[in-house]
Amino acid sequence: MADLLRAAVAIAAKDLRVELRSRTALVSALGFAAMVLVIFNFARDSATVSREAMAPSVLWITFTFSAVIALNRSFALERENAALDALLLAPVSRTAIFLGKYLANLAFVFTIEAVALPLFVLFFGVSIRGVVSGILLTSVLATAGFVAVGTVFAAIAVRTRFAELMLPVLVLPFLLPPVIAAVQITSRLLAGRPMSEILGWLKILALYDLVFVTFCILLFPALMDE
Amino acid sequence: MDADPQANAWFMWAAYSVAAVILVGYGVSLWRRTRTVGRSGGRAVGG
Amino acid sequence: MTASTEGAERVIRRGLGLMLAGFAALAAVYLVALRFTPTERFQGLPQKIFYVHVPAAWCALLAFSLVGVGSILYLWLRDPRLDLFAESAAETGIVFSLVMLTTGPLWGKPIWGTYWTWDARLTFTLLLFFLFLGYRALRSAMHDPAERARYSAVVGILGMVLVPFVHLTVYLFPTLHPQPVVLKPSTPSLPGVMLRTLFLSLGSFTILLLGFLVTRYGLGREAEARGGSDGR
Repeated sequence: MADLLRAAVAIAAKDLRVELRSRTALVSALGFAAMVLVIFNFARDSATVSREAMAPSVLWITFTFSAVIALNRSFALERENAALDALLLAPVSRTAIFLGKYLANLAFVFTIEAVALPLFVLFFGVSIRGVVSGILLTSVLATAGFVAVGTVFAAIAVRTRFAELMLPVLVLPFLLPPVIAAVQITSRLLAGRPMSEILGWLKILALYDLVFVTFCILLFPALMDE
Repeated sequence: MDADPQANAWFMWAAYSVAAVILVGYGVSLWRRTRTVGRSGGRAVGG
Repeated sequence: MTASTEGAERVIRRGLGLMLAGFAALAAVYLVALRFTPTERFQGLPQKIFYVHVPAAWCALLAFSLVGVGSILYLWLRDPRLDLFAESAAETGIVFSLVMLTTGPLWGKPIWGTYWTWDARLTFTLLLFFLFLGYRALRSAMHDPAERARYSAVVGILGMVLVPFVHLTVYLFPTLHPQPVVLKPSTPSLPGVMLRTLFLSLGSFTILLLGFLVTRYGLGREAEARGGSDGR
């Protein structure tokens, strides 16, 4: 178990180191998130649609679309350099590879969200005072779930010809439950609704995470077979 | 709720027709694919 | 296990037979539903779409489960026939999903005044359709049969796991969709004669599904017997 985690962390660290060196994907994803927020502001008729009404949806669209962009790079490096074979030859279990990729992707997406959230607060003028922990918790839960699925699908998509297209096509249906739940929770938090209204959705998020992270761990090795 | 029975009947007929077209259409396409079975050199499974 | 052309042709014949039986049953259902079943009082004639829409939904879901089961079994046993089975089930599922997606709005417009609402159940239908499409898109983008089988199996299983989560949102999302009328814990609210028509339709649709499935499977086996996969 300790070996597994150690290997996973090593793989994650390698991925992040590689990414930090060039920073291309990170900068692109951050730029994308910012652009989405800007566009949404102008894509709104201020006479009829209030910022508060749009806010939760905008936040989550920004998060998920940026995450998909980030996930695309997850295995791209390996494909380009045939490095996946090298990785498979290394004495690490496939589960460790998945966990490592998953952790790296999580770090990546959390970074994007950490930048996008303040921008969102700034651009949309929503006050998150008092509900910051709620929003953070929701973000962590929802992200943990869909990044797991996204990591698996990134590994799948990278073996196809139109990988950048295949990934969103495959993953978007899986984003529905966590995004629906996250938006419901976020909008209720921003509106100051009581906890009782939010608990059910939080439970769904937690269940989704539990189930999908488990299945992703179980199924990922099948992708790496020879 | 629409109170016009004639217009509403149209929806029913439309739905039943569309469903029939899709199902029969697919059935026919499958059947036609089986027709090429047995010919020499032909690829049996099309699009 | 390699297929023989004779064996595959036998399967195809059986499939075609089932299809024919299914279509015959479907014709009977059409007759019964349109002419011999009383019209519902509140929704009027469009309510009869129910007898087509619900069985189509049932078949789409059934097909989807078969993809899932085939995928699990494939990953476990690695028998390529299971992969072919899953592929055939997916193709059938697309057909029934299309029926669902077309009859749904045609039912919705006269009843609720709008062709489409984003209520959870219509969304669920659409999602199922997209899952099938994604599965198929993936398969056409991969050419090595063993890799394709493994990868689509993973997608098939994950898709199957997703379905209950989407269904869960039905009960939490305020919805325009009629509340479950038949599959409630207590006795069904549908009067007897309508229930009978519904079950007749369910049976016919299922036979049709089996016919499609077996024929498609047979065609796949036949293609294998001719040598080489068809690249899908």
